[in-house]
Amino acid sequence: MKAKSHINKVFLGPPLFVLAVLALVPTIAAIIISFQNKELGRRGTSFVGFENYINLFSDRRFSNAMKVSLQWEAITVIGTMIVAILVAILLFETTRGRTRAIISTLLIVPVLLPRVTAAFVWKFMFNPLLGVINYPIKELTGAPIEFLSNIQTALISVAVVDIWQWGLFFAVILLKLLETLPKEPFEAARIDKARTWEIYAYVAIPMLAAPLISLTFVKMVESLRSFDLIYVMTRGGPGIVTETLDMYAFNQGFVESGRISYASAMAVLMLLTTIITFTVLFKWVRKWQTA
Amino acid sequence: MLKTSISTVGGLLIATSLSTAAVAAVCTDDLKILAQPRGSLTLLEERAAEFEALSGVSFTIDFLNENDRRAKSRAEASTTGRYNVYYIDEANVALFAENEWIVPLEKHFPSEFHLDDFDPSRLTVGSYEGDLYFAPIQGGGDFLYYRKDLLDAAGITPPTTLDELKVAIKALHDPENNVYGFALRGGRGSGANVWRWMTYFRGFGGEWFDGDTPTFNSEAAIKATETYLELFQYSPPGTSTGSWTEVTEAFNSGQVALIVESSPLAGLTEDASSSAVAGKVGYTVPPRPLTGGGYGHGLAIGAKANRDEAALDCAGLFIGWATSQDQEMQRLEQGIFGDLNRQSVFASDEFAAKYSGNIATALEETAEFTTVNFWPNADWPDLGDRWGIILEELIVGSRSDIPEALNELEDYANDLIARR
Repeated sequence: MKAKSHINKVFLGPPLFVLAVLALVPTIAAIIISFQNKELGRRGTSFVGFENYINLFSDRRFSNAMKVSLQWEAITVIGTMIVAILVAILLFETTRGRTRAIISTLLIVPVLLPRVTAAFVWKFMFNPLLGVINYPIKELTGAPIEFLSNIQTALISVAVVDIWQWGLFFAVILLKLLETLPKEPFEAARIDKARTWEIYAYVAIPMLAAPLISLTFVKMVESLRSFDLIYVMTRGGPGIVTETLDMYAFNQGFVESGRISYASAMAVLMLLTTIITFTVLFKWVRKWQTA
Repeated sequence: MLKTSISTVGGLLIATSLSTAAVAAVCTDDLKILAQPRGSLTLLEERAAEFEALSGVSFTIDFLNENDRRAKSRAEASTTGRYNVYYIDEANVALFAENEWIVPLEKHFPSEFHLDDFDPSRLTVGSYEGDLYFAPIQGGGDFLYYRKDLLDAAGITPPTTLDELKVAIKALHDPENNVYGFALRGGRGSGANVWRWMTYFRGFGGEWFDGDTPTFNSEAAIKATETYLELFQYSPPGTSTGSWTEVTEAFNSGQVALIVESSPLAGLTEDASSSAVAGKVGYTVPPRPLTGGGYGHGLAIGAKANRDEAALDCAGLFIGWATSQDQEMQRLEQGIFGDLNRQSVFASDEFAAKYSGNIATALEETAEFTTVNFWPNADWPDLGDRWGIILEELIVGSRSDIPEALNELEDYANDLIARR
């Protein structure tokens, strides 16, 4: 027994130490800085208590960033899952063998592209004067659509790139999961004269509930890291329409004001919100699964 | 004859090696420079061996686009400060100088590179509280650029007032045939949309501050913003969130009839290899009462990375070499018009041969209308960028109340002053 507990320590020790250094040190530093008034262009730093946190709640750009972040999470997570499910079912129904393998490989390509590269490619495609997406629109209507400069379309246009990368990748995972399902429930449903969509809605998807929930959580965490995509495509604009919390924190900390402490307060609040939201969601899902 | 040649070459070699040895002692470590992409700096990289022969060390330049360069240089200079030379612009000289992230240049700038040869207005924008901080890489004022072919066809003379400009823009605006009347910068930033907006604000008599009291929330600011938004109706797609790149590309691709922009655009416009309107453009001063946006970018000596006098002198030597008359003549030869700053170069026969006529006349005339439009203060980038975001919101239509927008900026300015 004793030897076993030693092995635990040997294996857990190094990764926990690395995690402590990599995650804990900057987190603690951010918390300390968030209680100060540190600015890049000003000398002298002092502790100011909760002043930064209090100021955040009267900052319209902060409340806007909260709203945009929530919209971004909802659009990209729901969009990715819907695209993944629909594409996976389509491929499962219409392709076999080698064709399916080739299409699956092609669908993984977008997620393999670095985010910055994908963002630049799509930014160019959305360009109102030269972009390939706008070419047919200009031919048909005579005027291009400024997808990334229009307040109605900017967030959705950036989200399309995210969904394009992750939705297609998840579709391949789901396709492989569909292949592993036993055939009997499908045959039973067909004998009961279930329509195709009913077979998937009432048989296949419920059988894949657990991996679908896991994929949703993976995407939720991934969507929080949207910075690079938004930074390249819109920088939070037009105006502040696509300014998520991480984008606004970066703008405040480094681009506009150099207000490191204010940005840290945002980062700490974002961390707390994420931890609380995910804990509640995890517990809720676990309860739902065991019920 | 042969003997004379040998002795002359020998003498030159000895002189060169002596001078190299003299300055080589100054430099001990390779230099790191943070800059934004400019044709003149790419040229420096191509001629790096010259600097190595002069100083005994080499250099590397890290390039970032303008907004990123500003963000990175502030974050970097205020913390680790590992760059020997920073590319800075008129809008952040005060911030860098006040925080002592850079040092006054004059003492470390080798006299053989003749600091007094630079255009005096470029040196003025590179100075803070009486000290010069950068040697100019680029700078200038504004021109009104107009498409001679389009104006001639419509029987319109080049506008000299804002009212005439509006009439001309409306007459020439023909988006169905891919011609837009005007082009403006809409994208955020003290050096982007605010940079152009300021020429209206200052032209209408606006002032930023009276001491520590903000005075910009005024009729002039409201009128400037209204005019800017009105003119934006005639600006091509992509410019509402675009800046210099988008508007100049739109103009050079032939889609814009008139534009008020910084003078370096003239060099790009006349470059037939990248411009569809070379030879079709006329140049004149901005229409009254617009003021020309006087600006300058240059190289400054970093304070932290250069720990002793020798290191400061080495950085000064690099800046002297990089901005020398010889470099500028090379730029002139390669058509890098925007990066010319020396009086001797403007007065040269080569310049007259290359940029004769309209451009040279406009350059002389525009100096009278060129002013410093921004608030020369360490807090300017912060205030200017905040107005940039609000102005972009007004341009794209996510807000529309101009007085409310200016009130918000005034609150922000008061907060900035209070945090000092």
